[in-house]
Amino acid sequence: MVLLIVLIASLLLQMVLPWWIIVIISFATCGIIGKTGKVSLWHPFFAVLILWTGMALFQSIPNNNLLVTRVAQLFGLQAWWWILIVTGMIGGLVAGISGLCGYHFRKAVIALKSNTKV
Amino acid sequence: MKNKFKALICVIIPVLLAVAFNTKFGSLPPLLKFLNPFTGFWQNAEKIQVKQQIRMKLKGTIEPIEIAYDDRMVPHVFAKNDHDVYFAQGYVTAKDRLFQMDFQTRYAAGRISEVVGIKAIELDRYQRRMGMVYGAENSLKGMMADPKSRDMINAYTEGINAYIHSLSAAQLPLEYKLLDFKPEEWTPLKCALLLKQMSATLAMGSTEFYMTNILQKFGPKVTADLFPDYPFKEDPIIPAGTPWNFKHLQVPQPPASFTEKTTGNIRTKTLEDGIGSNNWALAGAKTASGYPILANDPHLNLTLPSIWYQIQLNAPGLNTYGVSLPGAPGIIIGFNDRTAWGVTNVDADILDYYQIKFKDNSHQQYWYNNQWKNTSKRMELIKVRGSRNETDTVFYTHHGPVVYFRKPEKLKLADNIPTGHALRWIAHEKSNEIMTFYLLNRGKNYTDYRKALTYYTAPAQNFIFASADNDISITANGKFPLKYKDQGKYILDGTDPKDDWQGWVPAAENPTVKNPERNFVSSANQSSTDPSYPYYINWEFSNYERAKRINDMLRATSKATADSMRIMQSDSYSIMAQNILPALLSKVAIAKLNATQKEAFDIIGSWDKSYRADAIGASIFELWTSRLFSDIWSDDFTDNNSPMQYPSKDRTVELILNDPGSKWFDNVNTPAKESLGDLVNESLKYACDSLERKFGPIGKSWEWANLKQTQVAHLLKLPGFGSKRLMIGGAKGTINALNESNGPSWRMVIELGKKPKGHGVYPGGQSGNPGSPFYDNMIDTWASGKLYDLYLMSSPADQQGKMISHLTITKK
Repeated sequence: MVLLIVLIASLLLQMVLPWWIIVIISFATCGIIGKTGKVSLWHPFFAVLILWTGMALFQSIPNNNLLVTRVAQLFGLQAWWWILIVTGMIGGLVAGISGLCGYHFRKAVIALKSNTKV
Repeated sequence: MKNKFKALICVIIPVLLAVAFNTKFGSLPPLLKFLNPFTGFWQNAEKIQVKQQIRMKLKGTIEPIEIAYDDRMVPHVFAKNDHDVYFAQGYVTAKDRLFQMDFQTRYAAGRISEVVGIKAIELDRYQRRMGMVYGAENSLKGMMADPKSRDMINAYTEGINAYIHSLSAAQLPLEYKLLDFKPEEWTPLKCALLLKQMSATLAMGSTEFYMTNILQKFGPKVTADLFPDYPFKEDPIIPAGTPWNFKHLQVPQPPASFTEKTTGNIRTKTLEDGIGSNNWALAGAKTASGYPILANDPHLNLTLPSIWYQIQLNAPGLNTYGVSLPGAPGIIIGFNDRTAWGVTNVDADILDYYQIKFKDNSHQQYWYNNQWKNTSKRMELIKVRGSRNETDTVFYTHHGPVVYFRKPEKLKLADNIPTGHALRWIAHEKSNEIMTFYLLNRGKNYTDYRKALTYYTAPAQNFIFASADNDISITANGKFPLKYKDQGKYILDGTDPKDDWQGWVPAAENPTVKNPERNFVSSANQSSTDPSYPYYINWEFSNYERAKRINDMLRATSKATADSMRIMQSDSYSIMAQNILPALLSKVAIAKLNATQKEAFDIIGSWDKSYRADAIGASIFELWTSRLFSDIWSDDFTDNNSPMQYPSKDRTVELILNDPGSKWFDNVNTPAKESLGDLVNESLKYACDSLERKFGPIGKSWEWANLKQTQVAHLLKLPGFGSKRLMIGGAKGTINALNESNGPSWRMVIELGKKPKGHGVYPGGQSGNPGSPFYDNMIDTWASGKLYDLYLMSSPADQQGKMISHLTITKK
């Protein structure tokens, strides 16, 4: 569920907003419905990994990977798909960590509230 | 408390991640801003399949504009008035080349620190202190004074801005994403800056400090002998014997010799060897069609995106095709229905340094004409990314800016600048070059051509011309200062009014020739005229070798076709080898050579003197002669405290051929007395040894193309964004003047006639986007010496070329 929400929200909002909206989406989604730490880490991770890899290929395949090959050389990498992996992995990691932080943020806030009640 | 802290950490980490991956560190781009596929570089990956029909509405156009793109993505612009045609030129040029235009004009204006930070500050100061912005502002006044050029520049500017305003973050050109900045509004000043940068590229060299040092060390007799005012071998642009049909102005007399030379430890920037160009035009009497053929290939630094952009401009009274400079409206080199024109650099002496005597260290006053005169101050605000802005004060005398009082340490460009000297440079003048191209683009005949040239100031060019009326002509054209002979060969005296420029050579009296008897005109940066021309243009021009080869070939030509001219453009026969190889070979002591040297000697003996890609003889000859020249001159002309230049190639060849016993062949640093023969043998062995060290045993790896290693690099020298290594022939001093990164930046051949036929290519592509299939698609055709047909269409529906896309712009 988290995976689907992060994926769809990221797809739609990135059409108009900068990339870092994925940080907010992952944080908020997991902060509200993230059931466990594991889910909150891996669901946003895979959501963004899949979305970004898919979108990158959607842009790059009709281009015969011309540009990404040049960019790979710019970064000193041997093959173009390294750039694809780096893109997906870093994007996924940032989303995953944000999701995990969202989850723990909720736990901390709930704990704070129960403390004040006591 | 612990939970509060935990909550805080949980917010801080994502925020930090977002900020860190959105920020540029050093030269690393903001990583996820650059890599994310929604707004990052992936968005610049253009589809190989081009969209066939695009319609758009833009503010600022008057009537509908139709643009047809041919199969090389050259836009053919059809507009209904002048405003729209230049608006569209600005729009489509920006669409393909925005970053290049922006970067080149920022470079010219000394505004690179604004985008890359403090590391470019000395470069920016240099540009400001050379008066680049000052010159552009003066130029702009000239452009804006004439309503035609003013409207042209304003419309072009509007078109560029219409494109800039339409850009979303995802659509920004790739380099903006890499360097992390945004394009700013285009202004007419930027058009002027671009033209100033052309002047800097083509006309900023100066050798007067070297020459002053040489004069001091060797005295006037030796200096005049080794650095003559007219070369030993020459074949001037205006054929010798052409009459000058004007009563010339009084030529100024030189003042009593200015000998107080205090140039100190200065290296001047000499113009890069190899920046030069060829053009020629044949009269109908020499062509198969009976109509003239015109050819032009300007040699410049080769970059991606290319310095040129092809375009056709069509509006009432205008139908022209050729190459433009991204950032300037109109077509610089091209043709229309009736005429064709092209340019090569003149190498006029239009940059001088004046020694200034200041009253005191405040630099408020300087001595001139026996009195103290006030300087003026110009404040240059330099914005620096990630650091404090700085204001640089430049003092101006009536000559021009005092470039440096103290040399910067870290800028190679500025090692060359004399301290305390004022710069007088033609590019600081008010001018309106744009108008020349406005008129040439619309020209119908010889009279129109002559009129267009009168508007031109700098950088001075040899404008070649041919028309369907069977006229051919060439004019060494620009605004030439009226000087005494050799004024500016050495440093000038800033206190003496007699050393000022004494006015201008009238435009009508610039060297020109129309329909000469030999039935062709040509230029290759050699001397404009023979010594009979009454005015002083320069004491030294490019070596005559290319010109000689061109003229030899054209003299022998009859029934020329576009194809025979195309083949001539890739000719790599060396006149220098023709001149000195027999003399050198005769001095080689064959018995003393080792096996490799002996083989090399045999190869070069049977070499056809062409710098073909696979010529091993060319590699040996190149290294051999460059070592030989250095052997001859380095002992006499190397002095760390007082840098000098070597005598010219021409003078060296003359010594080798006519004066083999000259004292200059002796190395003054050794007790023995060396002869020319000793040096010839030493340098041949040296050449063979260094080739062997670098490439192993003599064989295929010694081939010329492998030694030369030509490559077309990206403007910012980004790895992966340049061309592959090109294994092709050509060399400095041959018609195909192609070295490692410098050479024919545009090759064009135009057949005039009832309907003109154009052919051309440049090493690059129309698109400046490294993610476009049209970024470097023409390089292979260029490398193989072929040309594309250029389509001068009569309407957007014209069927002569294959059109792959149509863009229609209507009023919003």
